[in-house]
Amino acid sequence: MNRALTVARLQFVGWRSVVGWPWGILALSFSINLALFSAMNENDDFEPTTGGLMSIYVVMFVASINAITQEFPFALGLGVSRRSFYLGNVIHFAGQAISYAAVLYLLAVIEEATDGWGVNLRFFGVPFPLVEHPVLRFLAFAIPFLLLGFIGIAIALVFKRWGVNGLLMLSTVALAAIGGLVVLATWRGWWSAIGGWFADQPGWALLVGWPALLTLLLAGLSYLTIRRATP
Amino acid sequence: MSAVVTVTELTKRYRGVTALDGVSFSLAEHRIHGLLGRNGAGKTTLMQILTAQNFATSGEVSVFGQHPYENEQVLSRISFIKESQTYPSHLRVTHVLRAARLVYPGWDEELAQRLVDVFQLPRGRNVRKLSRGMLSALGIVVGLASRAPLTFFDEPYLGLDAVARQLFYDHLLADYAEHPRTIVLSTHLIDEVSDLIEHVLLIDQGRLLLDVEAEALRGQVVTVSGPVAAVDEFTRTGTELHRASLGGTARATVRGDFGPAAHDRARSLGLDLEASSLQDIVVRLTTSHNGHAAGSTAAADKEAVR
Repeated sequence: MNRALTVARLQFVGWRSVVGWPWGILALSFSINLALFSAMNENDDFEPTTGGLMSIYVVMFVASINAITQEFPFALGLGVSRRSFYLGNVIHFAGQAISYAAVLYLLAVIEEATDGWGVNLRFFGVPFPLVEHPVLRFLAFAIPFLLLGFIGIAIALVFKRWGVNGLLMLSTVALAAIGGLVVLATWRGWWSAIGGWFADQPGWALLVGWPALLTLLLAGLSYLTIRRATP
Repeated sequence: MSAVVTVTELTKRYRGVTALDGVSFSLAEHRIHGLLGRNGAGKTTLMQILTAQNFATSGEVSVFGQHPYENEQVLSRISFIKESQTYPSHLRVTHVLRAARLVYPGWDEELAQRLVDVFQLPRGRNVRKLSRGMLSALGIVVGLASRAPLTFFDEPYLGLDAVARQLFYDHLLADYAEHPRTIVLSTHLIDEVSDLIEHVLLIDQGRLLLDVEAEALRGQVVTVSGPVAAVDEFTRTGTELHRASLGGTARATVRGDFGPAAHDRARSLGLDLEASSLQDIVVRLTTSHNGHAAGSTAAADKEAVR
């Protein structure tokens, strides 16, 4: 466990880039949106919602791919075991997800208190009032970080272990499976039932519950994959 | 002296390629081992398996008495510096050193900083913007300052000029004398390190050709030159590895158990005898058909070659 903490610190030695990129890009995205909607001078009824918050999640997704393609060979070169590297990575990403989610939550509260930064801008607020409970709202910010992080780790590990052919095979299987399900659902007329199922799900399940479940699944599969990966 | 590394019947097969073929040896503690062999001989694969970065197809590997795979106790005592090491693109030289300091229990920061100055590494430069030589120097700094009880250097000198290479050898030897440890040095520049190496491992096409003390090896292979008949007479006492003939004279490299008596015999036959350099020995053994059968009856082998 000590060694895993060391790995988490190891990934933080270049902390300026680790923290700078996600928040730098988010800040840029926010300033552009703020400038844009201030310039538009719309009336009070207009409450714009932007997708700008996505940018920080995309940066984390890219960082998670880098963790496998760049940090993994470096850490193993320094004599770290695969298990420690993996656990250190989990600590590293979970730490970021929790702290970043806390900041985003705080910014969302400020946004509400200032009537959308004075211009009715909704940038940090979750776009639909699905979750009210504070803990669930916090998790709704945090879990997507982890989900995207583990999607990135899983994809990069497939590449690391099975190369480009592995990635192509994964895409082919995914395409065939999704395409097959779409055809099946259309043929059997399941679409209204599927839509109903989604509509019946509570907001916290869609934003927190199901993503968390998927994250755990990917985390388990990634661990099994990395144990036999070579740098 | 206890064995730090023990390898038994180690085999590694990639699709259709046998990189290592039943290799067995052990490495004694506190020695500098030279791991020699041509490109593609299996040197890097061997070191990757010993450091648990790669997986063996069959055979046993024991490092500090345990299997290295996922073994933190073993891995934290190993430093593996390889020419192909990559670094995360956002790191600077100082970041890499800080990372190494976090990981290696025996890290000597003072030595690391001194070596950075010796190799004139730009501390603030991004690793991706370092020249090939600087990248090698960075690996050398990490390898030496880590003070790991088992340190592998896999061709650590790529892009380094002669002066920087000499600095590496000097600092390696000086630090090794003060802090004895087990070092494995894989290199093609055999002449440059022949004074450094105490034990020689020679691999060719995945097989171990030599596992011998450097001192013992030096007397084992000699080159004699003189009249063909006399050379023929002398080579009967060993395994002929190589011969070049010009008119009535010949020059032959022979492997055998040559003591002072052999020198006398060469002199009485009117032959010039000289001990072969380590580089010559390696070249001759890896190109000679006799190399693989070293130690068997000389005459039969010699006939087969002709």
